Amino acid sequence: MDIFSNLALGFGVALTLENIAYCFAGVLLGTLVGVLPGIGPVTTVAMLLPISFTLPPVSALILLAGIYYGAQYGGSTTAILVNIPGEASSVVTTIDGHQMALQGRAGPALGIAAIGSFFAGCAATLAIALAAPPLAAIALQFGPAEYFSLMVCGLIAAVVLARGSVIKAVGMVILGLLLGLAGTDVNSGIRRFDFGFQGLADGIEFVALSMAIYGIAEVAHNLEQKSESAVVTSAIGSVWPTAADIRHCLPAILRGTTLGSLLGVLPGGGALIAAFGAYTLEKRVAKPPRSFGHGDIRGVAAPESANNAGAQTSFIPMLTLGLPSNPTMAMMIGAMMIHGIAPGPRVMTDRPDLFWGVVASMWIGNLMLVVLNLPLVGIWVRFLRIPYRLLFPSIIVFCCIGTYTINSNVFDVFVMAFFAIFGYLCLKLDCEPAPLILGFVLGPMMEENLRRAMT
Amino acid sequence: MNIRAPKDFWSGIMFIAFAAVAMLTARGYSLGSAGRMGPGYFPMLLGGALGVLGLILVARSLVIEGETIGRLRLLPLVVIALGVCLFGLAIERLGLLVALIAATAVTTFASRDSRPLEVAALALVLAVFSVAVFVLALRLPLPIWPAL
Repeated sequence: MDIFSNLALGFGVALTLENIAYCFAGVLLGTLVGVLPGIGPVTTVAMLLPISFTLPPVSALILLAGIYYGAQYGGSTTAILVNIPGEASSVVTTIDGHQMALQGRAGPALGIAAIGSFFAGCAATLAIALAAPPLAAIALQFGPAEYFSLMVCGLIAAVVLARGSVIKAVGMVILGLLLGLAGTDVNSGIRRFDFGFQGLADGIEFVALSMAIYGIAEVAHNLEQKSESAVVTSAIGSVWPTAADIRHCLPAILRGTTLGSLLGVLPGGGALIAAFGAYTLEKRVAKPPRSFGHGDIRGVAAPESANNAGAQTSFIPMLTLGLPSNPTMAMMIGAMMIHGIAPGPRVMTDRPDLFWGVVASMWIGNLMLVVLNLPLVGIWVRFLRIPYRLLFPSIIVFCCIGTYTINSNVFDVFVMAFFAIFGYLCLKLDCEPAPLILGFVLGPMMEENLRRAMT
Repeated sequence: MNIRAPKDFWSGIMFIAFAAVAMLTARGYSLGSAGRMGPGYFPMLLGGALGVLGLILVARSLVIEGETIGRLRLLPLVVIALGVCLFGLAIERLGLLVALIAATAVTTFASRDSRPLEVAALALVLAVFSVAVFVLALRLPLPIWPAL
């Protein structure tokens, strides 16, 4: 089997001292931003994008990937102990997780979340290793017409999976596509939508746009909420669930992993939808269902397995087709392009070290996360005591530094300020930003493929 | 006519505004034909679609009852945006330290809970951390001191 030699190659890349260090840094940071409410993986990856300039591409991707799946582990800690989702994808974990904590079972809740996540992480890594090569082989045959249709399909899926109004989601996709068209047109050399600004010659900077929306607009939105966090400070106790707990949860973990892996691949999917889907499914099929909402351990196991599985399988379309399934993956594509690697099916054949190195690092990262989260959970809880009034100025200045350093261009900072106001209004109007970001990334690619397909 | 769904109504207006800007600007670029698309073709297409969606939203919001918009608190938003712009104005001429301390000081006004001493300490910590990590360790091209 080819897969073994490929995985061996991957582990060879991922197990160098340097890459282990970057993987560790990634999952550590991921756990931290996962634990802290109000700062998510998108913002963090955006802030670290300039740093990844200086790294070799494999190390950069290993670091950034670690942040994304690391955040899925960290998010559950806050959800269980404080009843606030540390991460959007752990919203459903609060339902049963916090109830368990109130009943004095915070330890097993944290334990099963980590164990479920670890199992899901291993399974999803294997799924990527198995599913990606054949997919990439098919994708190599794709012409512009196929690519265009694929992107339309992807955007439709993103709309369907978005919460709220379909019309608004479609509108946000189209608006994103339009914003993506600003800058020099590759075919005619004409500068479009630059409104006389020299700074828009290369279009709107992706990092500035995403940090404006996910970093700064979010901060402004969060400042309106009254935050009264009640940390469950009573002893967490043993984090190891009993054997009976594990036996009780095993089907939930298996179902969560399967559903999460499938939903992660869908555009617009990823960790968030996976967690919601898994919890709903578990409520339907698990017996007896009555205890859900009152601290049922399966209500923690299923969504936590699913969000981690979904976070990882969302790498499949990114690595094989070069298409992002969620904003974090769009950021990864940005990181690859910084290093001059065109994302797409060729990555696997031209840069097997990169592809398999990242896949192998995910498994290593998951192992590190279990260690980081189970014995060290007390340390993370302490970070929850940082008040938001100290956190939010830090988020803002890091966003400023990140946006400025990406091109050493002050104009991008002003673009960020502009879109922060726009992003805040969108939040107020219930217009979801995720479809906009996907549209923005796909805009130029879609136009190019449509043009080529029509000629 | 009463607006029955303010959220939808204003979303629609926003879409129409963006569509109008897109279509008016795209008029300046050659359209070409479906077989040979000019630089104006795709933007025009998208602008038209966005405008139609906006009109649907507005029309629907006049008929169907919907959600109201939560209270807007523009002050924190404006203060934060100002802080960001200040950083942009200061970074190249006055350097990272000044830009960072200024941006931190201004943005803390967005929250009513901020305390002066804490803000000073935070600005100092952020400045030291950023210089140490971003400039010294990661060697990002940022000027630390004011350019004279």
